[in-house]
Amino acid sequence: MKTVKTMVAGLVAIGMAAGSALAENANKIVVDGSTTVGPIAKAFAEYYMGSHANVNITVSESGSGNGAKSLLNAACDVATMSRPMKNSEKKAAQDAGILPIETIVAMDGLSAVVHPSNPLANLTIEQIRDIYTGKIKNWKELGGPDQLIVVISRDTNSGTYESFETLVMNKEKMGEKVEYVGSNGAIRQRVMSTPAAIGYVGLAFVDGVKSLTVNGVEATPATVTSKKYPIARPLYMYTNGRPKPGTPLQEFITLYATPDGKKIIEDTGFVPVN
Amino acid sequence: MRLQTRKILDRAFTGSGVLAIILMTAALLILLTPMFVRGSGAIFFTATVEHRRIMLEKFDRGDRDAVERDIRSARAAREPVYRAIAEFERQLAAGDAAPRRLYATPLKDVKKALSVLFGPEPGRPRPMLMRDQYGQARWDRAQVKLARVLCREEWDYSNPAKAGVLVLKPRAADFAGTPVAEIFPYLQQNADRMLLPRRTVYWQFLTDVSFDSHFFGGIWPEILGTLYLTLGAMMLAIPMGLIAAIYLTEYATESRLLDLLRTCISTLAGVPSIVFGLFGLAFFINTLNVSPSKSVLAGSMTLALMILPTVIRASEEALRAVPRTYKEAALSLGAGRWHAVWTIMLPAALPGILTGIVISMGRAAGETAPIIFTAAVSVGKPLAVWETLTQPTPALSWNIFNLATEHEAVDEVRHVQYGLVLVLVSLVLVLNLVAILLRARIAKRMRV
Repeated sequence: MKTVKTMVAGLVAIGMAAGSALAENANKIVVDGSTTVGPIAKAFAEYYMGSHANVNITVSESGSGNGAKSLLNAACDVATMSRPMKNSEKKAAQDAGILPIETIVAMDGLSAVVHPSNPLANLTIEQIRDIYTGKIKNWKELGGPDQLIVVISRDTNSGTYESFETLVMNKEKMGEKVEYVGSNGAIRQRVMSTPAAIGYVGLAFVDGVKSLTVNGVEATPATVTSKKYPIARPLYMYTNGRPKPGTPLQEFITLYATPDGKKIIEDTGFVPVN
Repeated sequence: MRLQTRKILDRAFTGSGVLAIILMTAALLILLTPMFVRGSGAIFFTATVEHRRIMLEKFDRGDRDAVERDIRSARAAREPVYRAIAEFERQLAAGDAAPRRLYATPLKDVKKALSVLFGPEPGRPRPMLMRDQYGQARWDRAQVKLARVLCREEWDYSNPAKAGVLVLKPRAADFAGTPVAEIFPYLQQNADRMLLPRRTVYWQFLTDVSFDSHFFGGIWPEILGTLYLTLGAMMLAIPMGLIAAIYLTEYATESRLLDLLRTCISTLAGVPSIVFGLFGLAFFINTLNVSPSKSVLAGSMTLALMILPTVIRASEEALRAVPRTYKEAALSLGAGRWHAVWTIMLPAALPGILTGIVISMGRAAGETAPIIFTAAVSVGKPLAVWETLTQPTPALSWNIFNLATEHEAVDEVRHVQYGLVLVLVSLVLVLNLVAILLRARIAKRMRV
């Protein structure tokens, strides 16, 4: 009986030691953050693991704010963000001994999207702002059908929300009737199923909804790159310090600059950077 | 009360009881039937030649010769379509600038719609994303995409006071008098020759990894993740819960403090699961650093905390339900307290304890909120056992939510979402069934 117990205890100890040793060596990259950057991160992960079968890259899409927090707590290797890190976050990182290094992986145009049945084709930034503050309540006021506008926004944890706030809202507060949802995909879904809705999403999420021109400019790769499209923004990946050359993390974070990486970004709907 | 009134009342009660049961059964059927019907669509469906091509190229499955023959025959059937387009492009290139400009966009749209249906045009460079490398793998989706090739969706905004109306414009009319006009009737008549639909049982949906964020492949990482999380939670919660229950019923002396403790445990059982999730993130990951990132371990710990009250209460009730005389007999025969608990009380209470355990196992498997911040990710590989200590995993419950809301192309991965739901619901049903059977079996054995 005693020998059995000793053996079991020994096996457990060996197992745990081996487990932790293997875990230390495991090649893994944990990516957390923006739902906008999600399609790029997921496609990069799949591409990279295709040629590096021993690496496990996990991607979660919980919002830019969560990505930043996750990086500050050293709980992820790459924080994907659709807005730059705020000073307060950088300060918190410094206090936690984390050095966030920024990489711009792609450009994105924030698209104002409506249901395809909506006859409107263009909105100015001021009109969009007025819709979100609640000043414009009915599509009729914009020359559309007599329907109350259903205003959909991302939640405040979102980088897309903050970009929208900076680029469109101009320090004005969103109205009380705005409906907040948790991801770009959710906005798209909501707008697709609601004829009177308006929302804003990244370029990869405009399938099935109608993307309006803003100030008369259509969001295309060309107008986004030339900054002619008024609400364009970069997409980021943040790491803790500069990753060592030759590591999977470094290769993953620089994928955006490779020809294949650029192709992937383009195919997901975003605009590669040069 | 008169006999007549009593009879009527009695009948009314029986009637409403039966009605309640009928309503409940109907609700259950309405809930479960679509889940099973649609969910099984992930495994049993009509697959096109593209599905067989993916199986061959990604998994080396299927009869290579037969599949290649299929691919060749499908290519041959598609050939006239591409030939007509190439012919028209040649005509345009040779002709005036005006028609070239006129047809540029419609032609681009047709080619795009075709590549969604059939995959990239032969001879073109291979696209980077797998969703662009293959055509439609499912016949039902293929028909939706075929309709998009045949007609373009146009919204009629002529009445600005009203919302636009969807008008389907046959593309054939756009290309009237050109060689391309002929491809539309051809596509309509020969769709099955170009895609070779065949009934398929894709049972490997349950054991395959997913490709290109769930556009193709199966849900093995999610199934495995849920199994790990559930088993991990049980491994932590069962010993702790049992020990606590034994202590509370057999060792602790009744006091006000003990009552308070019981109240706390009951309250804990009512705490919303998202609170457990946030607690797990703040405590296990950010404070204790049990793992460098989210991980199955941290998720299991959070789930264990969540189900602990249920396990404790169920075990406590079961132990309390064992007749006092059993224990007294054991003690009077000279058994120690621990011996009595171990050999008499626990076996007698086992059916109740097991039921509690299996039911909380079902809850652990199905919960989403506790694992969002502690364990779950959208995409990831299936993990080896030791990797669960440090790495996060996809899980059934979380990925159902992810595919229903966050995914960039929800409509294209609907069948995967239904498949995930089916597997999760079946898992919970099976667990509950096991609980019932176990209980019945042990109860029978105890009686003998």
